[in-house]
Amino acid sequence: MLKTRLNLAVIAVFLAVSSVSAAAPASQKNDLPKPDFAGFEAKDMPYDKGEAVLLTWPAGAADVPGALYQVYAAGADGVWVKADEFPADSRFAADFDLPFWAWKHDSTLHAMQVELPSFFKDFKTGQEYGFKLKYVNGKTSAESAEVKAVAAANMFNLARLNNLVLLVVTIIVFFWTVSHAKRKGLFIRRIAGLDAIDEAIGRATEMGRPIFYSTGIGGMSAIPTIASTSILSEVARKVASYDTQLKVPHFDPIVMTVSKEIVKQAYTEAERPDSYRDDINFFVSQDQFSYAASVDGMIHREKPAACFFIGHFMAESLLLAEVGATTGAIQIAGTEQESQLPFFFTSCDYTLIGEELYAAGAYLSKEPMLLSTLKVQDFGKAFVMFAVGAGSLLLLAGTWFNWQPLLKVVGHIFKAY
Amino acid sequence: MSETMLIFGGWVAAGLTIFLFSFLYKDNPFFKVTEHLYLGAGMGWVFQTVLFQTWKPKVWEPLQAGDWTVLIPTVLGLSLVTQFFPRISWISRYGFTFIMGYGSGLVIPLTISTDLLKQIGGTIAPFMVSEISRANIGSLINGSIVAIGFICVLFYFFFSVEHKGVVKKASNIGIYFLMLYFGAAFGNTVMGRFSLLYGRFDDLYKYSAPKYFYATHVILAALVIYFVVDHFRKKKPEIEEEAA
Repeated sequence: MLKTRLNLAVIAVFLAVSSVSAAAPASQKNDLPKPDFAGFEAKDMPYDKGEAVLLTWPAGAADVPGALYQVYAAGADGVWVKADEFPADSRFAADFDLPFWAWKHDSTLHAMQVELPSFFKDFKTGQEYGFKLKYVNGKTSAESAEVKAVAAANMFNLARLNNLVLLVVTIIVFFWTVSHAKRKGLFIRRIAGLDAIDEAIGRATEMGRPIFYSTGIGGMSAIPTIASTSILSEVARKVASYDTQLKVPHFDPIVMTVSKEIVKQAYTEAERPDSYRDDINFFVSQDQFSYAASVDGMIHREKPAACFFIGHFMAESLLLAEVGATTGAIQIAGTEQESQLPFFFTSCDYTLIGEELYAAGAYLSKEPMLLSTLKVQDFGKAFVMFAVGAGSLLLLAGTWFNWQPLLKVVGHIFKAY
Repeated sequence: MSETMLIFGGWVAAGLTIFLFSFLYKDNPFFKVTEHLYLGAGMGWVFQTVLFQTWKPKVWEPLQAGDWTVLIPTVLGLSLVTQFFPRISWISRYGFTFIMGYGSGLVIPLTISTDLLKQIGGTIAPFMVSEISRANIGSLINGSIVAIGFICVLFYFFFSVEHKGVVKKASNIGIYFLMLYFGAAFGNTVMGRFSLLYGRFDDLYKYSAPKYFYATHVILAALVIYFVVDHFRKKKPEIEEEAA
């Protein structure tokens, strides 16, 4: 009897021990750390146009290699869509490409941006969407509660504060230089290409041949086109006073309309409104190579004494300038397109390089307002030179002495967001 | 596409290409025809693009869907057409003013972003290294050359300062940097243009096959005959004039 009881006790102890030892791994498995979803939040992504939502949750011990986060999103129909999946030890707030003044680079917080139009074809700004997170690590998994957020368009992009500061400084400097130019006048260095305008118009007058002026293929909002129209004004004024023939073939109808007004005004200022004709400016084509082929044909047949190619030019630059060169015309070109400048160098007598084109209006007219814009540009260049010099030295110092905050600050200040 | 249409297309393509190339010899009626055809086709293409890619999806379809706000830009755009009617052409100023204002508003911040911030950021980027070591000394030297060249080029574009002394020396160095860049850009673009030329030659070779009834050969021969005949036809009156 005693022996039987003893055997039963041994078996019971064995079973108990084996059940405990069997239960131990299971409880150990369940004890794998799980993420803290209590801090899981969804809110509108700041500084965007209203198509993204920002998801944040605290990083923790669960973010081990091999573990994954899965992000799900649902629209009004309640159908969950898998938006993303990524390793648990990635996607932190510290990784966001935003400047220090607009974003807290926190490495203890997970953050990710969900671009809603990528997952919902019927996406509308202002509509509410649901989000949930799933954590998977082998057989261990956890799911957050659903959180909701609305993507809204933001009026102000704080990340571009450096851009705004520079703009405000530029405006202040501009007004200061305008007043300075009016009071004392401003010096401008000689620009050979612009001095040659008189020579070109004089040659056309002597030869009795027309002058061709192309404003390029840019629209009216393009800065080179605006600069070109200001040069056209000066050319037209001189053409009117010499009573020479001017032809301005256009690519863009809006530029043509503006140019018409400018040329008309120039003829009036030269006291030759009777010489003005409406067909000085004429539309050719809005197709790049059709325009080039047609203007080439005109130049070849009419054999102008002078050709001006000033404005925004692309592949048609050489097509136009080469034909002009074969006719023996004196050619003055100017563009901001660096890739086209070599072609103008090879086929034109004078070439205005980039900024020289913008300086032309002020150089020719000597108006205080325009002169001051040149001065502002020079201040801008001086600022850039200083920034490049100082920025390079600061970055080298930051690397040498391992000052990470300095590297971060300099890098963010001189970055366009 | 039927075989006949394919052959016809080959003749048209080969013909137009050769007619355009004929300008390299001298101006002629075939070039003029092609030039005007190209101009017309180009305009037709632009018109249909505007009609089906701008007017239809951005004006017609929103209006049909009840979105009347598109009428504001449409009316502003239409105001430009009043330029053709001198009595009411003043209305076009509203459209132009909007275009200029919108353009400036768009371009100014973009210019600050690209011409200032991105330029500065890009130039100083090589100096943002984790450590100064033998491995990256080459890129640091390279970055320094770029930064010095950049500053010297900017000196060349100073307009309100007389170029003499140090400024002149720096701007002269800047010109060398500019010329280096322009030379590289020239070579690069010429290579691109040659690849386009090879494309045309490849097509001409294709259309010279028996399948296309030797389109390239026939058109080229016809053009050469035209030039020879035209040469003697024009030379004859000159000789007669000299004799008289």
